[in-house]
Amino acid sequence: MSDLLAVEGLVTTFPGRAPETRIPVVDRVDLRVARGEALALVGESGCGKSMTALSILSLVPKPGRVEAGSVRLAGAELRGLPATALRRIRGARIAMIFQEPATSLNPVQRVGAQVMEAIALHERVSGAEARRRALALFEAVGIPDPEARLRAYPHQLSGGLKQRVMISIALAGRPELLIADEPTTALDVTVQAQILALLRALAADTGVAILLITHDLGVVNEIADRVAVMYAGRVVEEGPRASVLGAPRHPYTQGLLRSMPSRARPGERLAEIPGAVPAADAWPPGCRFAPRCAIAMDVCRVREPEATPLAADAAARCHALVTP
Amino acid sequence: MSAPLLAVEGLCTWFPIRGGLLQRPVGWVRAVDGVDLVVEAGRTLALVGESGCGKTTVGRSLLRLVEPRAGRVLFEGEDLLHLPPAALRTRRQAIQIVFQDPMAALDPRFRVREAVAEGLETFGIGADATERAARVEAALARVRLDASLGERFPHELSGGQRQRVCIARALAVEPRLLVCDESVSALDVSIQAQILNLLRDLQAELGIAYLFITHDLGVVRNLAHRVAVMYLGQIVEEGPTEAVFTDPRHPYTRALLAAVPSADPARRGVAVRARGEVPSPAHPPAGCRFHTRCPEAFARCREQAPALMPRDGRAARCFLAE
Repeated sequence: MSDLLAVEGLVTTFPGRAPETRIPVVDRVDLRVARGEALALVGESGCGKSMTALSILSLVPKPGRVEAGSVRLAGAELRGLPATALRRIRGARIAMIFQEPATSLNPVQRVGAQVMEAIALHERVSGAEARRRALALFEAVGIPDPEARLRAYPHQLSGGLKQRVMISIALAGRPELLIADEPTTALDVTVQAQILALLRALAADTGVAILLITHDLGVVNEIADRVAVMYAGRVVEEGPRASVLGAPRHPYTQGLLRSMPSRARPGERLAEIPGAVPAADAWPPGCRFAPRCAIAMDVCRVREPEATPLAADAAARCHALVTP
Repeated sequence: MSAPLLAVEGLCTWFPIRGGLLQRPVGWVRAVDGVDLVVEAGRTLALVGESGCGKTTVGRSLLRLVEPRAGRVLFEGEDLLHLPPAALRTRRQAIQIVFQDPMAALDPRFRVREAVAEGLETFGIGADATERAARVEAALARVRLDASLGERFPHELSGGQRQRVCIARALAVEPRLLVCDESVSALDVSIQAQILNLLRDLQAELGIAYLFITHDLGVVRNLAHRVAVMYLGQIVEEGPTEAVFTDPRHPYTRALLAAVPSADPARRGVAVRARGEVPSPAHPPAGCRFHTRCPEAFARCREQAPALMPRDGRAARCFLAE
């Protein structure tokens, strides 16, 4: 197998309201990302997409914990590795960028020093060499006037520039996989366009694989080669970008796309998905989308559907695909 | 022609930058710097722009939640900026606002029915408690909330239900203008669609006008009759929504529209048409405020500030649109 990242049967739980109970917020999730590929994990708030990313990185905040499953990077199991070994992998082979660059940067250290520190973490280089590479990274991520910007503190930079600094830090260790959790959500649309173009160019130039976590189907379309849609802790549909966005098979994916204002004719009512996402401690039996689904059958309320393989490396978890 | 419901003329709201030992103003952030807007009764005007453009300050200035330093806000012909406090309070009944974050807008200790009833009490609507209770129930029904939810507290509701409560509270006092400040921005797309449809239905039922403040162009196109695009404290383009979306006349509007990623797999590749980021409104560029980011700027744009030029029912603040 040439998968760079292979996640199988991942379960992450948090304590429930009743004592001694635990709730799986990530429930038997399978994902794979090939080398150089961009996979988007998409869903609405509370679906478990961010917790999936944190589980992959062994960064689940307490009292949450990864309960079961396997996370392999280039064939090697990451679960159960000692903390020091995990720290070496995070940042070096797997890098991360988050929604709020401001909270990820040290406010009292110049950004140049932070990039150089990231470079020195992964390789023994002289100060001059680290500085030269930091400058090259700033140029690569399109920071204007990079010499001067190396000496800037985070608060002196705009949101877009801070995210560019974060991306340069992420790339400092020449990672194989970049996990980007809502990387443009806090940015204005004109700046988002710049960062999306940058991420695509970097992926093409460096061959880094991307696991993109987002709620925005437009951003998915810009970055992803493949798409996995999450609902209530489960992956409900997966496949190539063109088929998931262009010809979705799961009623939830269809509903999500149809409810986007840009999909409706101007001045027309939007298609709605009725109701709301249930809380993690109130997931219904059977298919978790059944209570909101327009085509739900009796079986949907009783038995959870298996993932049905579809054409061209795609699958969806829906009874209607098996028993029409 | 009858007077519009709301006409904003030359609105300026500046915030002082204080400095020195005595905390005197040493400069001004020109958040809103000469804005003209018109909202017709029963129609929707979208005020769209990126963060820091001043759109939220416009909304707050109308209600005098912040005090403008110049301009006129004519509501049904009466200038709200020159009303004495008592008269302003009465007029506020006619203009209500719904914010982005319903959790912050609702008092966590108030039950839903108490939150909705608060405005009725403030404006002395309803003869007695029984009538007010009936009005609360009607307001909840109007936003498609079950009357039983009236006994709940905000934390017992979903995000979409909370925003419905905020809308019910605003509508209970029967306003003629509803200012929606990013009212659907924090909601997931499936819930956002429900609230947008609700707002559309309410406009048809009640004939209420909306000033819809948002950064989301998809929402604008779906809901608004007219759109005003704001950049660094000024309106740079205004017109009927479809005309502006299909034939934008200001380079900033073109950059905004080109930057929105589409979910259509056949249409990939956002265009970067505005370089860099928005300059500080404390030091707006000389000449055209957009010239530092504009792909089409020429010498004149750096020296002279273009006026908002009206032409066939639309307006654009660009020398190229003249």
